[in-house]
Amino acid sequence: MATPAKNESPETASAPGVRPNRLWSFKPRSDREAGDAVVSNFALHWFPAKVSKPSLDWTYSYWLGTISAALFLLLVLSGLPLLFLYVPSVERAYASVKDIEWVVTFGSWIRSVHRLSAHLMVAAVFVHLVRVFLTGAYKNGSGRGQRREWNWVIGVALLLLTLFLSFTGYLLPWDQLAFWAVTVGTNIAASIPWIGAQVRELLIGGRNIDQPTLIRFYALHVIVLPGLLGALFAYHMWRVRRDGGLARVDRVATLREKAADEPVRTKTYTLLGVASGVAPTIRTASLEARDLTVNAVPDLVRRAAVAVLGTFAVISVLASLIRSPLEEPANPLVTPNPAKAPWYFLWLQEIVTDTTFTVGGFTVNGAFLGGVILPGLLVAALVAWPWLDRSPAGAAGVWFHGSRRRQNAVFLAAVLAVVVLTIVGTFLRGPSWQLFWPWQAWPDIPARI
Amino acid sequence: MSEDKGDRREFLVKLGIGAGVVGIGTQAAASLRSLLPNVSYDAPTTVKLGLPADFPDGMKFLPEQRLFVFREGKVFHAVSAVCTHLGCTVRAEALPRPETVEVAGGALRLTHGFACPCHGSRYAGDGKVVSGPAPRPLAWYHLSVSPDDGQLVVDLAQEVGRDFRLTTA
Repeated sequence: MATPAKNESPETASAPGVRPNRLWSFKPRSDREAGDAVVSNFALHWFPAKVSKPSLDWTYSYWLGTISAALFLLLVLSGLPLLFLYVPSVERAYASVKDIEWVVTFGSWIRSVHRLSAHLMVAAVFVHLVRVFLTGAYKNGSGRGQRREWNWVIGVALLLLTLFLSFTGYLLPWDQLAFWAVTVGTNIAASIPWIGAQVRELLIGGRNIDQPTLIRFYALHVIVLPGLLGALFAYHMWRVRRDGGLARVDRVATLREKAADEPVRTKTYTLLGVASGVAPTIRTASLEARDLTVNAVPDLVRRAAVAVLGTFAVISVLASLIRSPLEEPANPLVTPNPAKAPWYFLWLQEIVTDTTFTVGGFTVNGAFLGGVILPGLLVAALVAWPWLDRSPAGAAGVWFHGSRRRQNAVFLAAVLAVVVLTIVGTFLRGPSWQLFWPWQAWPDIPARI
Repeated sequence: MSEDKGDRREFLVKLGIGAGVVGIGTQAAASLRSLLPNVSYDAPTTVKLGLPADFPDGMKFLPEQRLFVFREGKVFHAVSAVCTHLGCTVRAEALPRPETVEVAGGALRLTHGFACPCHGSRYAGDGKVVSGPAPRPLAWYHLSVSPDDGQLVVDLAQEVGRDFRLTTA
């Protein structure tokens, strides 16, 4: 432990709760100092003092949640300079993005960082959801007062917010890609029977995609949705702590239980539970045992730093290699051919293409069935799944647990369907949404008639 | 007496909470209502298209109105270019050989078919769905001749049947 500063009296230094070492220490020399490093540091105050070793494994969680959060941080950081440079007006939006791309120093790189982070965040959040499903990590284990199923629901909401954030950002350059993606997207909303037209009008602030649409999407993109996502993310993390860490920790505790000594509430988790008195009780065996736990500082911090800084590094390099596209300025008079939605919506575009059907003279628009009903059912199934999952608590935190074989197969089939449809939409659809092999040349179709 | 006091306190607490809920609810409703536009700055739905004589025989595409105007001598009709599936602008494709078909009880000479670039819906020259996800045929709009300067006028808010024809003098 560091010696107290000279101007501090010995009594103050030794008083309970007063930490003589105010600086965060990367190489703590004692458990006490390691604990202080977390408690006295604002950036780390949401970390536990100790973490179980298995929950740090790279190959358990693949740190996908951390990577998603790092990407969100990067999006906020790269969004700030763009906020100063972008003008949300239909007359000037395109020109301002063009300036960012070709005039502003490093503008093209910043825009690429923002765009690539957004694309990768959609992917990372989705893969994170897949990981949590396949490990049964939304299941409650041995701790009391756990509500992991609700954290899964929050996670689904975070995925939807991520998609909607990407979609609103898509319109801002006001180019052809943007304009027609939003035309298609908002017309899906318009296909809802009876209220569709009004919903679309509310979304785009009128009957045509114009200035009111741009300012709406802009406000949603820069403040409303990031604010919501940030708040839900904070709650998501709080719940992880509250539920006793990753689901895998419970398993370690359960396995240890047979050999365990008297269960004692631990310092770590009661810290959060003092107020409400329902802290999950994790057996001492799992937390205090030297061979199973490590101090959060430096072990957790080091790995989180690798994940976060690694994400930053990958994006920085990719952004200097890959430029962001900017198509012709938005032109309501000419629909590009083919007109494709962003890649993460192409599976939906595939579905809306194939789901129009007629029953006895009554036609159901594929836009409604494939664009509203089917995604709605998918989201509802995701939300309800933890309550439908009847596997034992021992299946929590295990990759491909034997008792969850069938539901994993169903889930993976759905994931595969989405991935395959996305690939078909991305690579195999050409003009007029016809199927082409990647090596087949597209026919020449004039842009204008 | 003391019981009375308790009742009053409870009532006031409930009143306070209720007032808070009503207050916040009203403010939220007002904020949301402000997002519903009261005035539309959209383009007018009744548009002058030019003199009938300036239209070529056959088909003319008007991108601003997203409209195809067909002329056969003195007879005009107009078909929407907005795909009924998800609102993309369909493209006209000239038929190799024009054909005359029976549409809504009358003969119609078809010179074009239509294809949507977004999801591949295809329509016949009269707007009928041939294939693809489009749920309805392309709309036909009302045409008239403006009494002041003789220009062709389309009313994009007035859909008409496929037997509609405007015969100019």
